[in-house]
Amino acid sequence: MLVEPELIERARAADGQAFNQIVLAYRKRILGTISRLIGRPEDVEDVAQEVFVRLYYSLDQLRAAEVFEPWLYRLTVNAAYDYLRRRKRRAESRMSDLSEQQVLMADSAAGLKQDESEREKGRVRDLMNSLFQNVSDEDRLLLTLKEVEGLSLKELEQIYHVKENALKVRLFRARQRVLKAYNMASESGRI
Amino acid sequence: MSERGLDDLFERYRAACPEVEPGPNFMPSLWQKIEARQSFWSVFGRFGKRLTTASAALCLLLLALNLFFSPGALNVIPTYADALMADHSAESTDYGEAIRSNTPEAPPER
Repeated sequence: MLVEPELIERARAADGQAFNQIVLAYRKRILGTISRLIGRPEDVEDVAQEVFVRLYYSLDQLRAAEVFEPWLYRLTVNAAYDYLRRRKRRAESRMSDLSEQQVLMADSAAGLKQDESEREKGRVRDLMNSLFQNVSDEDRLLLTLKEVEGLSLKELEQIYHVKENALKVRLFRARQRVLKAYNMASESGRI
Repeated sequence: MSERGLDDLFERYRAACPEVEPGPNFMPSLWQKIEARQSFWSVFGRFGKRLTTASAALCLLLLALNLFFSPGALNVIPTYADALMADHSAESTDYGEAIRSNTPEAPPER
């Protein structure tokens, strides 16, 4: 843990200074995790703040200071999930307003401003985002936590409160769907 | 693509997601959000309390009006014995008597 259990206890007792210290200790890690979960650097800070607001209001529900990290991850996953759902709704309405030509022009104009390595990173993020469209948002988050964040099945079990075997099955199926989507896109020449 | 290729793609994705540094306004903005939500909940809580008080007062008023306009409502609820007594109507008596009148007479002695 990045903070002492006593600090968490103090924050639970509505100590603002202790809460501040917890945020300072965890914010970078949470920002990084959210960045990988949602794949949109521009919205990361907003989602991270939402996580800490939720943490502030739910600290009294925390059973013990020892389970603080899985608890914080759970809040992070929930906030990312809510964000992905909102984004999906927004994207549907926004895309319906723009013609395909306008979208392509906007994309290429943005692309010109970046250098090659940034563009390559952007391409990887876009590719991953498009592959993630083939699995549910829940599976996307689970896959990211396991394969990108590198969390163990034990840690995932604590976050999701789901048995390890069920997680393995879910992960296997999600991987298969992503693989299938990649192969289909590759065959059709889209990547 | 193979399973290994997918692992490699996940690795590239990890590298492609930048490490986001918190901006200078991260903490002030966070506390603003916390306070904004706090004030929302306190307004909501005050409204809830007032609504509960008003509902309780309305209930008492309706109860008082109900008692005032129906004086019989204050009568004591009858016991089971009282209910049986009240139900002992003339109709049931007639029925009992009719049964008695139909009873066959005793056979004549030989």
